[in-house]
Amino acid sequence: MTILNLKNISKNFGAIVALDGVSLDLKEGEVLGLMGDNGAGKSTLIKIIAGNFKQSDGEMLFEDQNVEFNKPMDARNKGIEVVYQDLALCDNLTAASNIFLTREPKKKIGPFGLIDFTKMFEKAKQLFAELKSETLPNETVRMMSGGQRQAVALARTKLSKAKVVLLDEPTAAISVRQVAEVLELIRQLKKQGISVVIISHRMPDVFAVSDRIAVLRRGKLVANKLAKNSSPEEVTALITGAIETA
Amino acid sequence: MTTSKPKVSVSNIHELGLLIACILVLLIFSFTAPNFFTERNLLSILRSASYVGLVAFPMTFVLISREIDISVGPSVAYSGVLFACLIKWYGFSYPLAAVVVLFWGLFIGYIVGIVRTKLFVPTFITTLALWSALRGLALWQTDGVPVMVGSKPFRYFFGGDILGLPTVSWIMLIVFVIFWFLSTYTVLGTNIYAVGGNPKAARSVGINVDRIKIYTLIATSFFSAVVGILFVARVSSGNSTVGEGMEFDVIAAVVVGGTALGGAVGRMTGTLLGVIFIAMIGNGLVHWGIDPDLNKVVRGIIIFLAVVINSNLTLKSNTGPKGDD
Repeated sequence: MTILNLKNISKNFGAIVALDGVSLDLKEGEVLGLMGDNGAGKSTLIKIIAGNFKQSDGEMLFEDQNVEFNKPMDARNKGIEVVYQDLALCDNLTAASNIFLTREPKKKIGPFGLIDFTKMFEKAKQLFAELKSETLPNETVRMMSGGQRQAVALARTKLSKAKVVLLDEPTAAISVRQVAEVLELIRQLKKQGISVVIISHRMPDVFAVSDRIAVLRRGKLVANKLAKNSSPEEVTALITGAIETA
Repeated sequence: MTTSKPKVSVSNIHELGLLIACILVLLIFSFTAPNFFTERNLLSILRSASYVGLVAFPMTFVLISREIDISVGPSVAYSGVLFACLIKWYGFSYPLAAVVVLFWGLFIGYIVGIVRTKLFVPTFITTLALWSALRGLALWQTDGVPVMVGSKPFRYFFGGDILGLPTVSWIMLIVFVIFWFLSTYTVLGTNIYAVGGNPKAARSVGINVDRIKIYTLIATSFFSAVVGILFVARVSSGNSTVGEGMEFDVIAAVVVGGTALGGAVGRMTGTLLGVIFIAMIGNGLVHWGIDPDLNKVVRGIIIFLAVVINSNLTLKSNTGPKGDD
C-alpha cells in the first residue's frame, strides 16, 4: 500500500528551480534511499514533505488523501517525522527526557502535575526494546555514542507513532561500528511497518538497508528503481550525470 | 539486557566536593578564628546566606537557560528605596507598598526578558544598564540619605527570628524547596534545562523558548524585590547603598555550586551549598581580622579558584552546550 504519493512536485526559489516535476511513491514499510549530489534537491524535497516549504506546483497525497502542509507541525500531526543530522537532542537531559520532551507522562499530586518518572523510564525502556537498542533511559545523552543518540531520536519518532520517518544523513558523523547499529535501527523500523526515507552520501549504507533507490540530479528525478536491480556504480554514474537516466 | 545502576553523575561530584569544601572551611575557621563557631555567628552567616540564596535559586535557572542578570544589587537597593518612599512619603500601607514593589520586580524582569527575546539585546547588556540606572535612581530619589521606616511588627517579624532561626532563612528554605521541586519534578523545570541544553531542539519540539527565558528573568527580578523589602525590615530604612556587590555574591554562589555560565548544567542543591560556602568565607575572613578591603581581594581569589576547579570538573565530561539559538 502506498502511504505517500508525490505528483509532479516542483519548487522554485525565484528564478532558481530546485525541484522540477518530481513524482515519487513511498510504500508502507519500505526503505527508500534518496540520493543526489549537493544541490540536487534532496533537502528541498524532504523539507516539502516535512512541511517546512510549500511546493510551487504539484500535489502530495498521504494515505490517499490530498494534504497541504503549511508548517512542520501539520506534517507531524499526520505522522511524518524528520530526524535531522544534528538529531535535535538536548545533551544535558536523559534519554527518556529527550524522548518525552513536552509530552511527559504526568501524575497528579494535589494541585501539582508532576512528571511521572517511573512511567516515563518504563515507556522509554520499552521503546528502546522495540528498536532492539541497549540504550539506557536514565543515561544522559552527553555520555552517549552516535548510535545511541540516533536510537534516542528514533525512539522519539516511535513515541509520536510516526508512519513515515525521514532520516537526514543518519550515518554521516559516526564511527563504522556505530553505523551498523544505526542500520539495524532502520531495519527495526521497517519491520514494524514504518516507512523510512534515508538521505545519505554513503553509498554502502544506503544499499545495505534500502529497498528502493531514487536519484535526483539538478532537481529532476533521474532514477527510481529497486535496489537489487541497481548497483553503487550505476547510482554514482546517475548522480554525476555520466548516465542520464535509469 | 543491561540493567541500569545508580551512577555518580558529574553534578553529584560537584556537590560532594563542595560539601567537603564547606566542612573544611567550617573546621578551619572554627579552629583559627575566635568567635566563629558560636551560635550567634553561625546564625549571622545563615542570615546573610539567606538574602543571597533568595536570588541565587532563580539565578540558577537564568544561567541554565543561557542568560544572566547582573543587576541584582541595585535592583535590591532600588526595591527597598521604593518600598520605603511609598510608605513614608506617599502614605502607603505596608502590604500595599509591598505589592507595588513586587509588581515592580515582575515588571523589570519582564522588560529585560522582552528586550532579550524581541529586540535580541543580550541580558548582560540590559542588566548592566539597569545596574547603573537603578543605583542612580535610588541615590537620586533619596539624595543618598536612608529613608527611615519600620513599624515594630514589620521589623520584628521580617527582620527578626521565628523559632530561633531568622525569618529570612525560613523564607529562603521555602523558596529553595520550591525551586528544587520545580527543577527536579516539573515540566517547566525540564523545559528550562532543554532550553539551555539545545535551544534549537527545544524550539523544534514546541517549547516556547522565549517564554521560558522571560519566566526565569522575571523570577530573578521578583526575588531581588523580595530581598529589597526584607533588607528594609532588617535595617529599618530604605537605603540606596545596600546590596553593593550582591550580584557578585549571587552569581559566584551559583557558579561555585556547579552551574555552568554557558548554561545547560546546574542544580539547586549545588546552589544552596554555594551560597553557604560564600557566606562562610565572607564571614570567616572578617573574623580573621583581615582588612575589609583586602577581604574582598581574598574572597575574589578563593571564589575564582573554586570556579576554576568546578569548571574543570565540568569540562572533563561535558562537551558543553550544543546547538545555537
